[in-house]
Amino acid sequence: MKELFSKEKWKYAFYTVSHPSDGYYEIRHRERGSVAVAIVLVILFSLSFSINRISASFIVNDVDPLDVDALTELVAVLLLFALFCVGNWSITCLMEGEGRLKDIAIAFGYGMIPMIVCFNLGTVVSQFVAQNEEAFYYMIIGVGIAYGLFMILIGIMQVHNYTLGKTLITIFLTFIAMFIIIFIVLLFVDLINQVYGFFFSIYQELIFRM
Amino acid sequence: MKKHTLLTKLAASVLAAAVLTLSFAGTAHAEELPYDTYNYDYRENFVLTPAAYVPNGSVTGQSVGTTDFTEPQDLCVADDGLIYVADTKNNRIVVLNDAMTETVRVIDGFDNNGQADTFNQPYGVCVSESGYLYVADSMNKRIVMLTPEGEFVKIIDNPQSEILEEGFDFIPIKVTVDYADRVYVISRNAFEGILVFESDGSFTGYFGTIEVKITLWEKFWRRIATKEERSKQQLYIPTEFTGMDVDADGFIYATNIDSDGVQAVRRLNPQGKDVIQKGENENVGGDIRIGTYGDYSGPSEITDVVYRDKGIYSMLDRKRGRIFTYDKEGNLLYIFGGIGSQEGTFTTPVAIEIIGDQIIVLDAYYGTIMKFAATEYGSLINTAVGLRYDGDEKEAIDIWKQVLKIDENNELANNGIGKAYLTAGENKTAMKYLELGMNRKYYSVAWKRYRNEILTENMNFILTAVLVLIGINFVYKRFIKKKKSSEEGGLL
Repeated sequence: MKELFSKEKWKYAFYTVSHPSDGYYEIRHRERGSVAVAIVLVILFSLSFSINRISASFIVNDVDPLDVDALTELVAVLLLFALFCVGNWSITCLMEGEGRLKDIAIAFGYGMIPMIVCFNLGTVVSQFVAQNEEAFYYMIIGVGIAYGLFMILIGIMQVHNYTLGKTLITIFLTFIAMFIIIFIVLLFVDLINQVYGFFFSIYQELIFRM
Repeated sequence: MKKHTLLTKLAASVLAAAVLTLSFAGTAHAEELPYDTYNYDYRENFVLTPAAYVPNGSVTGQSVGTTDFTEPQDLCVADDGLIYVADTKNNRIVVLNDAMTETVRVIDGFDNNGQADTFNQPYGVCVSESGYLYVADSMNKRIVMLTPEGEFVKIIDNPQSEILEEGFDFIPIKVTVDYADRVYVISRNAFEGILVFESDGSFTGYFGTIEVKITLWEKFWRRIATKEERSKQQLYIPTEFTGMDVDADGFIYATNIDSDGVQAVRRLNPQGKDVIQKGENENVGGDIRIGTYGDYSGPSEITDVVYRDKGIYSMLDRKRGRIFTYDKEGNLLYIFGGIGSQEGTFTTPVAIEIIGDQIIVLDAYYGTIMKFAATEYGSLINTAVGLRYDGDEKEAIDIWKQVLKIDENNELANNGIGKAYLTAGENKTAMKYLELGMNRKYYSVAWKRYRNEILTENMNFILTAVLVLIGINFVYKRFIKKKKSSEEGGLL
């Protein structure tokens, strides 16, 4: 546990932000990354997202505060995170990717850092802008999202040792895999429900007759 | 002793019960209303508000000393206060006094150049500014112009023009007259718009045609459909107008049934162009949140409109029996009314008029006129909106504040107060109210001014702080760092 959260690991996460290519290479080959840190970063991102939605200034914020539920958003983000990692892992396994599930999770988690920083910065900046200066706010948020996505892309590319084209193709296939996983899960839940219903009706029938 | 306490207990409980029932009788008043009063907030959520108008009695034919109305279709309040009712199926016009307590006269016929003439289903009625009575005599296919006493003046019928299609059937159902005595007529099945007649009775043309909107998708389907299929599809024809009123500037307010529920009323300028103002939600079509199935689903069917004072107008929905009131800027002020059989609800509402602050609605099925009186809440809103219309925003503050005391979440009130504070230069207070009123634009203006205020007030402090920081930095670089490096050097 201590090793997972060591100062070294946290420092390395920030090194990855400034040197994505080298950073991810060492994560794959020299065990410099930490899944625990990645998960904490994803949770932090979810919180920053909720905070931004609820307390960004009235001028840039059209969200009904009653619609924001940080816990649901956290669960949704974590589920998406898990789904993406599993989807990407199942695709890259078939496409000669070198990355392990662990590396994919780290690539995704570390990519959250620019978003966490920019969402919180945006929330603060939004308190100072007026209506014709909202471009600043949107620029900060936009840069955060763009750099985050760029980091995830580079991360996937490095840990699997892919070319850019192949990375883009696998990411596209990852989304299809995610849909298939959701479809199968829904199918499975429905099946379980039906089986449960079947046994429940047998039980009821027995109770009534006895 | 024991008996005494028992007695006091008994007396106390009886007293408590009496007080309770009394206080219930006092508060139960609002809950007795047969309808809800509501509005839509910034996020278009349904918000219940205190009652703006309450039922204030009803009038039937018998209560005013004549026989009952049979399917009356229109109402008109003349400038002298008399109320004209088009008693359609009884083929007569009934004139009531301004308090609607008795019949002044009944016009069931007139002397048409020596011949006795009668009406055949008079659908619409209107009294012009100059005092003449116009009757849309629907089945006789003519507009009859009479003096208020019922003396014949002239007949407008059989419009002749190239723009009218052949075999055009003139069945006037609503009529209204502007300050120049131009006559505006809604004719059944005249989809091209309102027919306009000059004061001499000549037909000048159509007015305020509603353009048909065809979506790209519908166009696409029409293109790929065969000729046979196309003939079976419904025709894309504009909707008919349903009711009219003239405002103080001589502009015509005309309602129609909009299947999208977006725009059910038009304010037509003398060229026939729509110049109505829409509010934040771009909707002047009645209900915004509507059900998708069941009896009461679908957009409102607006059947009549009445122009009130200071840019306020009310319109009547015949589907759900509701009355929508808007201000000049297209903001909804309050919505009330419903379908039912209790007093204050309607079965088939057909016409709406106002007498002072009182709204009257004609119900065709029961042949009654419902009266609604403004509550404190309703009249406060009316006054405040009126003051804003006149430009007295400062005076409006007090009235809006009283509105807020009754209905804390009233966005219009918060907005009005916020804007007034903004013009008064009290930016921080303005910000508070404008945020509650969900007015982003003016909030931003207030915030900008407030921000400048803070900056100018604290400029000295900020500049000093910057100078001090620069000084500290300088000292640190010059002396402390040097000292450190020399120490390190010494160690080596």
